[in-house]
Amino acid sequence: MKRSIAAVAIVLRKELRDALRDRRTLMTVLVSAVLMGPLVLLAISGLVASLEARAEQREVVVAGIANAPTLRNYLERQTYVVKEAPRDFESQLRRSTLHDPVVVVPEHFEAELVRGDVPVVEIVSDSANQRAEASTARIERLLGGFSRERALLSLALRGVSAQVLEPMEVEDRDLASTQTRATRITGMLPYFVMMAVLYGALNAALDTTAGERERGSLEPLLMNPTERWALVAGKWGAVVCVSVLIAVLSCFSFLPGQWVLRSDTLQAMFQYGPREAGLFILLLLPLAAALSAVLMAVAIRSRTFKEAQASSTVVVLAVSLLPLVNVFDLGGEAPWHLWAPALAQNTLMTRVLKGEALDAWQVLVPLGVCAALAASGVWSVARQLHQAAVK
Amino acid sequence: MIEVRRLAKSFAVAARGSGWRRIRKADRGAATANAPTLDDGRVHAVVDVSFAAPDGRITGLLGPNGAGKTTTLRMLAALIAPDAGTMRVDGIDVVARPREALARMGVLSDARGLYPRLTARENIVYYGELHGMGRDAAEARAVELARRFEMTALLDRRAGGFSQGERMKTALCRALVHDPPNIVLDEPTNGLDVLATRALRDSLRWLRTPEGGAKCIVFSTHIMQEVERLCDGVVVVAHGRTVATGTVDELLAKTGQRDFEEAFVELAFVAERGAAEVAS
Repeated sequence: MKRSIAAVAIVLRKELRDALRDRRTLMTVLVSAVLMGPLVLLAISGLVASLEARAEQREVVVAGIANAPTLRNYLERQTYVVKEAPRDFESQLRRSTLHDPVVVVPEHFEAELVRGDVPVVEIVSDSANQRAEASTARIERLLGGFSRERALLSLALRGVSAQVLEPMEVEDRDLASTQTRATRITGMLPYFVMMAVLYGALNAALDTTAGERERGSLEPLLMNPTERWALVAGKWGAVVCVSVLIAVLSCFSFLPGQWVLRSDTLQAMFQYGPREAGLFILLLLPLAAALSAVLMAVAIRSRTFKEAQASSTVVVLAVSLLPLVNVFDLGGEAPWHLWAPALAQNTLMTRVLKGEALDAWQVLVPLGVCAALAASGVWSVARQLHQAAVK
Repeated sequence: MIEVRRLAKSFAVAARGSGWRRIRKADRGAATANAPTLDDGRVHAVVDVSFAAPDGRITGLLGPNGAGKTTTLRMLAALIAPDAGTMRVDGIDVVARPREALARMGVLSDARGLYPRLTARENIVYYGELHGMGRDAAEARAVELARRFEMTALLDRRAGGFSQGERMKTALCRALVHDPPNIVLDEPTNGLDVLATRALRDSLRWLRTPEGGAKCIVFSTHIMQEVERLCDGVVVVAHGRTVATGTVDELLAKTGQRDFEEAFVELAFVAERGAAEVAS
């Protein structure tokens, strides 16, 4: 027994050394899995910042403002700067080169307004042009204000109370805390971290199983007087280590990532510190263990690395798609989510981001599922090892 | 000392059938094309192989491709379980106590893949450690073997860029790292050039001497010259059976031939006719 445990350590050390020397693969995984998250975060923060800046700019783009001095007067009183729309604003909006919706004022606006005919003012935007689309609500409210003011003035002239127009007052009350609101934007963060775990485990798992078969080194390896389970345990341990290493790097890469957040609002909402990173890693450990074992069990049945890549696609797809149940919020959180690996971790990490507490059951169920998966994966590899060696 | 008695092994045929089932069947074994297939739909890779390889001698397992040599050696290395028969290594039953038997054997199998990202030294030391040697002892042994096989310059190079001969030498050192009293080599000269083959032959001759440890050496080949030049005893295997045993001279005398190749063809041909009779 003591010798077998020593053998586990020997195999683990060798496999780790082997995996860490595979620089090119490691760099690819690092760049794609570890840098991707912060980069996306940066891009989103850039977008939010530009939306905020646009809202603060208080500009309104109008086509034909010369037809509506009353409207211009109102807009300027609201401290808005009125800009004349370019001639080809429609095509510019379509091409997303113009980032503001355009208010189109008809030629006889002023005359119709005075007569009491209802002039039609268009707000032109393109729903595929996200930045312009984001501002339409603001412009609608602005123009609504103008209508209300006109109505109030007319009523006041006739001696009617303004309250007749608004017999009821509507107020918004948002139940979401700052953190909950933030998860609408940072919700994809757990997803990125999980992909890092997956891709970290993928190459190492395939290399120690199918790769070993392809190189013809599995047969000689089994001719050593080492217990099969010790060999498999060592290999599995090494794959888990590599995967966790990538996970740790990925989790901590978001810490410096948030310093470069350009939006103050986002920075205030984004609650991700060392505590959250630590919790993420704790939640991801069982997933890394389970994924490594499952990938190895799939790959040991393949004769070549390439064949193994093809068969492991099923696992990769399942792990990539399951968390999307959460991202798309299909039917909210359901109890079964905790029983599905990847989805469970995604759910729990999202809770951590929202600043909600995790109870024992929520932690134990995914832990149990992952432990069972890891054990059956390792067992399956050990059972398959001899058959695999002789092809 | 290696003794093999009445060894037999058959495999399910890896043919027709779809998907998963076919892959799993194909995985089951080296069911080779030349091996006789009997009516039960199984490939009988090894039907009846027996031999005894004493210490201090080189025993050649000679046979055509697909005769069952590799399957026999894989069973000896406890990779696959035999259907019938016994194998003993220094008196230890391979099926009952595989790890003890493996500890007393150095096997250079048909597959001799190295780890390309590890150096030759690391490849060798890894196996030494798996055999229960301390790191320092394994390192020292790697250096000693490298000197013996003239590959000291290779020790700290990664195996990824090795030539066929360099790979072979490294794999041989790896198999011998724990200084095993029994050495089993499956077609060791495959892919080696003349110089490398001669070097290997010299090494095997040395290992047979008392200074070299008076090892029991079993090696399989399909090349007559190897056997003539090197072996103290020959076991001719054809169609999964041992068809003749003896020294080169004894086999020549038995067949009345002067050329060993002719003698071998006659022995194998007789076996083929015998197998055909059994099949019919």
